Amino acid sequence: MQRISVTASLNGMTIQFEQAAFDRLEAYLAEARRALAGNPDQAEILTDLEQAIAEQCQRRMRLDAVRVTLRELEPALAEIGSVEDSEAAAPPPSPDAVPRRLEQVSEGALLGGVCQGVARYFRLDVTLVRVIALLLLLLSAGIVILIYAGMMLLLPYATPEAGAPPVRRIPARCRELVLALRTRLDAATS
Amino acid sequence: MAAEPKLAPIRKGLLEFLVLKIVGAQSVYVPDILRRLADTEFATQEGTLYPLLSKLRREDLVSYQWQESGAGPPRKYYHLTDTGRAQLAALDEYWNRINRTIAAIGNEPCNASP
Repeated sequence: MQRISVTASLNGMTIQFEQAAFDRLEAYLAEARRALAGNPDQAEILTDLEQAIAEQCQRRMRLDAVRVTLRELEPALAEIGSVEDSEAAAPPPSPDAVPRRLEQVSEGALLGGVCQGVARYFRLDVTLVRVIALLLLLLSAGIVILIYAGMMLLLPYATPEAGAPPVRRIPARCRELVLALRTRLDAATS
Repeated sequence: MAAEPKLAPIRKGLLEFLVLKIVGAQSVYVPDILRRLADTEFATQEGTLYPLLSKLRREDLVSYQWQESGAGPPRKYYHLTDTGRAQLAALDEYWNRINRTIAAIGNEPCNASP
């Protein structure tokens, strides 16, 4: 059990928190701040919440207790509930809510961007994916090359994210080739 | 609290109306409002109520006064503004009309055209 204590000032009331409880409190307030982003009364609502938390914790503390622990804080936060902004402004969807698409990512790619796309899809480190691809290349007697080429041809290109690295020369060339090939395929099939 | 998810938006939409009603009846602070709603279908939490009250205040429907409390820091006591009172009356009237409509519709024979 942690014994370190942190002094927090909740709307002017000074309260001692155990480290773990303090971290939980910080996380709750950060989440509340995020939910209220863009609300003109963000600061005031946060102050109201801080006061509610302080009152709830004090009500739950034993008389001889010095610090707020998770034992008091968790039920207090549960009673206060997560912050729901009544303005329609829904919080931005969390990364888990965005539907995942298998795409190729040209920005920062070494060849076509397939490994980067696969890494993003499975939430893996791209270097790991590249190493696995290289290993498979050695073990699979070239089948991986076919798979890679097929994916390059079929996978859509991801829209570049803000702050994405530039597209290097080789991926750019690959992309040109693939797009040209696709147009030709389209023309041939229609 | 009803668990039926289809009813959730109805509850959510009516919460503002109910808060106006509670604040309209007497000057209250947030725990009073929570307590009043606790045993109803509209039981809610501070996390929802504070943002709602701040919105109502920005729309000039409610206002608050600081009042010293016996223990701890002063509390915000909310009351309706004149605009809030007018809005509450309008909502009340609208709610009664809706209620009559809901009660009437589907209860008359279908071929009883006027």
